[in-house]
Amino acid sequence: MAGWLLLVGIMTAAYLGFALLALTQARPWQRLGQAEPPTGIRRLTLRTLGSLALLLSLVLCLVRDGPSFGALLWATAISLAAATVVFTLAWRPALLRPLAAMATVGIKLRCERMETDGQGTAKVPPSNPTRL
Amino acid sequence: MGQTFRTSMTWLHTWAGVVLGALLFAIFWMGTLSVFDREIDRWMIPETRLGAAGMVSLDGLATTARKIAPDASSWSFTLPSERVPMARFYFQDAAGDYTFRDIDPKNGTVLPDAGTMAGTGFIFPFHFSLHLVWMDLGYWSVGLAGMTMLVLLVSGVVIHRKIFDDFFTFRWDRKLPRSSLDLHNLAGVLGLPFHFVITLSGLIIFFAFYFPTVVGAIYGEDVAGFNHDVYGSFQREAAGESGTLASLDQMAAEATRIWGGEPPYFVRVWHPGDANATVEMRRTLARSVDMNVDTVHFDATTGEVLQTHTATPVVHVSNFIAGLHFIQFEHWPLRWIYFVLGLSGCVMIATGYVYWLETRRKRHAAQGLAGVRIVEGLTIGAVSGIVIATLAFFVANRILPLGASFAGQDRAALEVWAFYLVWLASFAHAWARPGNAWREQCWAIAALAVLAVVLNAATTGDHLVRALAHRHLWAVAGMDLLLLAGAAIALLTALRLARRGIAAGPAQDTLKAAE
Repeated sequence: MAGWLLLVGIMTAAYLGFALLALTQARPWQRLGQAEPPTGIRRLTLRTLGSLALLLSLVLCLVRDGPSFGALLWATAISLAAATVVFTLAWRPALLRPLAAMATVGIKLRCERMETDGQGTAKVPPSNPTRL
Repeated sequence: MGQTFRTSMTWLHTWAGVVLGALLFAIFWMGTLSVFDREIDRWMIPETRLGAAGMVSLDGLATTARKIAPDASSWSFTLPSERVPMARFYFQDAAGDYTFRDIDPKNGTVLPDAGTMAGTGFIFPFHFSLHLVWMDLGYWSVGLAGMTMLVLLVSGVVIHRKIFDDFFTFRWDRKLPRSSLDLHNLAGVLGLPFHFVITLSGLIIFFAFYFPTVVGAIYGEDVAGFNHDVYGSFQREAAGESGTLASLDQMAAEATRIWGGEPPYFVRVWHPGDANATVEMRRTLARSVDMNVDTVHFDATTGEVLQTHTATPVVHVSNFIAGLHFIQFEHWPLRWIYFVLGLSGCVMIATGYVYWLETRRKRHAAQGLAGVRIVEGLTIGAVSGIVIATLAFFVANRILPLGASFAGQDRAALEVWAFYLVWLASFAHAWARPGNAWREQCWAIAALAVLAVVLNAATTGDHLVRALAHRHLWAVAGMDLLLLAGAAIALLTALRLARRGIAAGPAQDTLKAAE
C-alpha cells in the first residue's frame, strides 16, 4: 500500500515539476491563452520549484525502491510525467490554469514582501504582470 | 560549418531512418511485447493458468525428473515464480536433443505439450534474432539496426532545431507534417534516455557475439576458463559408480541462507545417480536490477557446498546493464513503464515515416517519383502490418486445437505461418491500395483484437470478468484489456481516417493495438 502511495507521490511530484518548468516557456503560456511567459525572478522561481519537485520525486523513488531500482524508476517515470504534461497542454490546457495562477500569485506576494523588506537583489517583476 | 554539419546530419537521419526504420519498428514492437512475454504465455497456453503454487518440494520434482529422464546426463528445473506458475524441466531426451516439459509444481503432474512457441518462444527471440537462422543473419541485422538506432538518436538531437523551446510542444491540431513531426520529436526527446540506454544495453548484451575475439584474446581456446571466471561454472567428472541424491530442499535452504534470504530460481543436477553427481543452484533474479550470476555448487550425495560464486565488480556492471534490458526482476510499475516507453519508440519510428511521406507526397506526385508510394507501403506493412500479424498469431493460437497439424506442420509452426503469411499479405495490401490501406488495416486490427478476446473467452472460459476476479488469471485479464484498448484506438483511428478521407493518418494510434 505504501508502495502505491509513494508511486502516486512520485508521479505527482514529477508531473508538477515538469508543469512548473513548462510555465517558464513561451509555447505553454500561449496554450494557456497568455502571450508572454514570466521573466526574471518569476521564471527563476518557477524553475527552482520545478527542479525541486523533480528532485523530490527522485528522493521518493530512492525511498521506495533503494538506489538501483529507485534510480531506474525515476529515470523512466519522469519521461512519462513529462509526456503527460505535454498531453495536458495539448488537449486540456485549462487543467494547468490553477497551477499557473497559484505560481504567479505566490511569486507576486513574495516579491512585494521582499520589496517592503527592502532587502535582496531581487527585482520586482517587470511590467506587464501575468494575469490569468 | 554548423550549417553543413546539421545538413549532413539531416541527410544521415533521414535516410538511415527510411532504410532501416521498418526493421527497427519490428525490433521495438517485439521488444515491447516481450516485456509481457510470460503473460502472453499464460494467455496462449491455457494449460499453464495454474492457481497459487504454494511451497514447491524440490525433492518431489526430483522424483518426477527421474521418472521422465532416468538416463539423462544432466537435468534441471526453473522454479515457479510470481509470473510463471509452473516448473519447467529441461533434459536431454533419448535422441540426445535438449527438450523441456512443464510441470505443475503442486503435484508433479506433467502438463501437456504447449503446442505453441507463444511469447517466450516466438515473440521474445524475434526481438533479437528475427528468427533468421541462416548465417546468423538475424543477430547481425539486429546489431546493425541497433547501431543505426544510436546514430539516429544522436543525429536526431543534432538536427532538432529547438529542442528546449519545443520540449513541451505537441500541435496535434495542425496539418499532418507538423503534428507528426511534433509527435516524433516528443517521443524522441522525452523517451531519449530510455531509447538510448535500451538500445545500447541491447548491443552490449551481445558483445560476445558481435566481438567474439574479445573473449578469445584473453582466454584463447579456453572457453571453460571464461565460463568459470564469469559465470562460476563447475565441472566434475562422473565416477561411474551409482550414488544417491541428498535432499535438494535442504541444499536450497542452504543456498538461500548464503544469499541472505533470496531463494534459487534454477536447480540443475549434473550426472544424476552418479557418486560424483553435483547440484548447481542459481540465485533468483527477482529482487535486483543487477542480473546476478551467483551460483552455489553442492556435492549431490552429501549436500556439502563445493563452490560459491559471485560476480566480480566488472561483471557486476555488465550484469546491471543486462538486467535493466532483460527486466527479469519483479517490479510491476517498472514493467508497465517499460511497456509504455517501448510503445513510445514505436510511435517515434512510425511518425518519422509519416513525416517523411507527408513532406514529399506532393512533390513526388508532381514529379512522377515512386518514392512515396514505395515507402508508404513499407511503412504500412511495417507498422500496422506487424500489429495485424501479431494478432493473427494470437487468433490462430485460439482457433487451432491442440495437436492440430496441416501439410506436415504442427500447431506451433502453423501459428508462426499465420504470423508471416498475414504480415506478407499486409505489405501486398499496402502497396495495392495505397489510399485506403491505413484505414483498412486499422479496421483489421480492431476486428482481430476483439476476435482474440472473444476466442479466449469461448475456448477457455476465462472471460474478462472471471479473469479479473482471480489473481492467477490477471495475466490473461491484462492481455484481454490491452487487446480491447488497442481495438478501441484502432477503431477510433479508422473512423477518423474515414471521416477525413485522406490517404495517410495518425499511424501512431494503431500501434497500441495489441499486447
